[in-house]
Amino acid sequence: MKSIKVLMAIVLLLSSFLLQAEIKNVVTENVTISGSCALCKTGIENAAFQKNISQASWDKDTKIATITYDNRKTSIDVILKKIALAGYDNKNYLAPDDAFARLEECCKYERLGKKEVIAEKMTAEHRHGSEMASAEKTVTADTDPLKAVLDAYFSVKNALVSSDGSAASVNATNLVKAIKAVKMEELGTAQHMVWMKVMKDLDLDADRISKTKDIAQQRERFTVLSDNMYNLIKNAKPVQPVYYQHCPMANDGKGANWLSQIPTIQNPYYGAQMLSCGKTTETIK
Amino acid sequence: MDFRKNISPGAWLILAIILFLSDVSTAQKIVRYDLYVRDTTVNFSGKEKRAIAVNGHIPMPTLTFTEGDTAEIYVHNELDEATGLHWHGLFLPNKYDGVPFLTQMPIKPHTTHLYRFAIIQNGTHWYHSHFGLQEQIGMYGSMILNKKKEPDISTVPIVLSEWTDLKPENVHRMLHNASDWFAIRKGTTQSYSEAIRQGYFKTKLANEWKRMNAMDVSDVYYEKFLINGKNESQLPQFKPGEKVRLRISNGGASTYFWLKYAGGKMTVVANDGNDVEPVEVDRLIIAVSETYDVVVTIPEVTPGAKPVSYEFLVTSEDRTKSASLFLGDGVKQLASPMPRLKYFEGMKMMNGMMKMNGDLYDMGMNMSLNKMDMNLVMYPEITGAIKEKSSEKVAQKPKTGKMDGMEMDDKKQSADAGHMDHNMYNSNALSSITTLNYAMLKSTLNTSLPKAASVKELRFVLTGNMNRYVWSLDNKVISETDKILIKKGENVRMVIYNNSMMRHPMHLHGHDFRVLNGQGENAPLKNVIDIMPMETDTLEFAATESGDWFFHCHILYHMMSGMGRIFSYENSPANPEIPNTKLAQRKLYADDRQPHFMAENDIATNGNDGQAMLQNTRWSIGTEWRLGYNEHHGYETETHFGRYIGKMQWLMPFIGFDWRYRKMGMDEVETNLFGQRNTKDQRSVFSAGVNYTLPMLVMAQAEVFSDGNVRFQLERMDIPVSKRLRMTLMVNTDKEYMAAIRYIFTRYVGATAHYDSDMGFGVGLTLNY
Repeated sequence: MKSIKVLMAIVLLLSSFLLQAEIKNVVTENVTISGSCALCKTGIENAAFQKNISQASWDKDTKIATITYDNRKTSIDVILKKIALAGYDNKNYLAPDDAFARLEECCKYERLGKKEVIAEKMTAEHRHGSEMASAEKTVTADTDPLKAVLDAYFSVKNALVSSDGSAASVNATNLVKAIKAVKMEELGTAQHMVWMKVMKDLDLDADRISKTKDIAQQRERFTVLSDNMYNLIKNAKPVQPVYYQHCPMANDGKGANWLSQIPTIQNPYYGAQMLSCGKTTETIK
Repeated sequence: MDFRKNISPGAWLILAIILFLSDVSTAQKIVRYDLYVRDTTVNFSGKEKRAIAVNGHIPMPTLTFTEGDTAEIYVHNELDEATGLHWHGLFLPNKYDGVPFLTQMPIKPHTTHLYRFAIIQNGTHWYHSHFGLQEQIGMYGSMILNKKKEPDISTVPIVLSEWTDLKPENVHRMLHNASDWFAIRKGTTQSYSEAIRQGYFKTKLANEWKRMNAMDVSDVYYEKFLINGKNESQLPQFKPGEKVRLRISNGGASTYFWLKYAGGKMTVVANDGNDVEPVEVDRLIIAVSETYDVVVTIPEVTPGAKPVSYEFLVTSEDRTKSASLFLGDGVKQLASPMPRLKYFEGMKMMNGMMKMNGDLYDMGMNMSLNKMDMNLVMYPEITGAIKEKSSEKVAQKPKTGKMDGMEMDDKKQSADAGHMDHNMYNSNALSSITTLNYAMLKSTLNTSLPKAASVKELRFVLTGNMNRYVWSLDNKVISETDKILIKKGENVRMVIYNNSMMRHPMHLHGHDFRVLNGQGENAPLKNVIDIMPMETDTLEFAATESGDWFFHCHILYHMMSGMGRIFSYENSPANPEIPNTKLAQRKLYADDRQPHFMAENDIATNGNDGQAMLQNTRWSIGTEWRLGYNEHHGYETETHFGRYIGKMQWLMPFIGFDWRYRKMGMDEVETNLFGQRNTKDQRSVFSAGVNYTLPMLVMAQAEVFSDGNVRFQLERMDIPVSKRLRMTLMVNTDKEYMAAIRYIFTRYVGATAHYDSDMGFGVGLTLNY
């Protein structure tokens, strides 16, 4: 019995020794690493792990990682760099922004050095949001006679951006209706002249787009439609800014334009294929 | 002496005054540097290796001058080999250009050579050894030519470089012998098993059908990449909010680098030492030997917060490794690393572009100026992450339809294909990441050439053969061509098309050329232009100098293989530094005529067989041997001497000599497929034949022997089965056949198992060099 105990002790000792022996020249350090949830724990520990060279154990509550490593084969700096590249800020390194962005939602901890930037962005967004809201209010109050046409045009454009032929067709039907519903007497003189000039073409092109679900044909028509819309709107002082955008590659390399309610490029001629091809050439407001 | 009598004293006085005045006006500051070139031992990778240091430094010290200075650079060669320094991008008298055997004789060991020239320009330049392969092992450094009045901004000269533990001569030899050791080190073997695992079996098959080996964006595996001689370093002196101008030269021998900055966009303000209108980018690639001036800003921190330093990240084009420089003090903000390349997508792209005859076909895209980067099919950050491993048939193809549209064999191209051809490789259109290209460079000056001058137009096609590592212009290497004569006063226009599979940074000595990039009068001035496969670029320069100027690919191993030309001004005065022009020319041509040696021997249980070969650009002499351990197995050798024909060098006629001895049973005779008889017991015959590389890289060989026998043979060597496993198959009309499989342990050692119709089954140890 006694001998068994001795044997067990020896085995235990030996095994603990063997386990210890996995990493040689061991150095252990406690380092604070940013993180917020159990998924962070896995992320941090995986990033620090290198077989027989380094490993880490991170505590969610204290944010402290106990890092054990072979100081002949690696260094704490190298390990912390790896952890940062996986998205976790620490005393030596800050994670690249896109590595942080890739973290799981629960793991998006509050970044120390970055706080201000994020906060600034937030307020900017807020401001933007409220601006939009107030703008909408003024529009409804004003009842811009061309607003319905413009809105219908934007929905056709958005359908083309998402390369959805049937939605484009439906939205173009609405555009035809909106064009027909415009009350010419409400337009200013200059506006009136332009309207007389482009109305027929607008109507025709919108009609053609509504009659097909073939996205290629719709886009072809949309180039002409957009040019006429531009002529109509460029002096109309729309309540919300309208962005006149251009893609040099569309229309067989001849280039094509469109109007957008947002400054970001979302190309209606290619959709996802080349969503961001193009640039804003004019802001109409 | 006789003239003197004819000149009046008054004239003498005037002459004296003129001389005095000119002396005053040129009384610039003389700036002297002494460079002591010495052998040294370095440890960049954990191993001690030989390198060359100047004044004890790698890189060589930064030389700084101001426009108007006179440079006096004393090079003290304390090596046991010759050397020569080239001042890259500088306008100077031809004899100081520093190209051994072209503009001067090499600086002999333990002698001193003086380079003395006026600094008549400004900008970021660099200097390097132009002798042999010394540039690879430390002989590169920054050369900063300041304006008389430089803008007030902190400036850091940066020279990028790479380090290999192999001797550069060995790197060069291995490249010429199509060794795939570098691919194994990089993890880019692109073997069949990897292809199958990632669902690219057909792609790999098509690739070999078109006689291509594994593709890569660079040739050499490097242990370390360096920024000013360090893999990682920090410049803590910069404060938040400060702008820093990085004056970057790529001193790498064969590596293009991606440049990124963790603190936001970079503003490019100069290229190859010439100012350009500032342009903001997220990243740029710097070609071998180019220079860029880039302004970065250390972002402000909120009051009270700790300072942050920002990573300037330099990644090799193959993205295997990187080097970092942290700007500022404090915790280090990392830039996001560049994701690994999707090689099989690149292979697929190559298959699409490669015609069966080895020419490239751009599908009418008229590419130029790096605007479209075919390699972006391999960039996960632009075209999406690598596909999940799936051995199944690629069922979700339509999803990636955009990329498939380019496959040549894919006939059902959508109606939109016309558009896509023009845009699908334009990374700036495809993503929100702005990458610099040459079309975005606009000189701050009007750079138009004199209108009245006559124009000499030269057209070059960049040609190459990856499998044999032959690089040339119009399929001719330097030693196979005459100098190209140009006249002082004329404008020279070069139209260069790259019909090879690699990109080439073409560099012109002693001149800046305008790159016609759509910026009209403000076309940027450069002295290096990177030309990607299938691109055509047009350059022009005013011929204002005299002497011989090198125009070559700046990838060191391409240049040494003969990829260049020499521009020679008509009626130039003799160069006093070249006393014997014939000898110099022969030595210069020796670079690309140099034969490269390879040998392989398999010590197996059933015999000893191997081969040795000596090859250069066009010629090959090689011998194979099979030595049995007893007389029944016999002993035989075959020696072939041949010349490679054509651009792709698939054809090689040869003459040869065979000797074999074997003791079989009495009067035992073998017949071949044609019924011809052959004792093989004792045979020594001459032969003539031809090798031809078939699709799938199968070598077909037809040979007629002096005893009237005929032999036809098919052999495929080194099929990449897996990362380190290679298979060889052979069969011929003498009813001989062989199959072998080799596992590569190290660069020189492998294990082979093979079955041979003469010698039976055997396993052995393969040594190769």
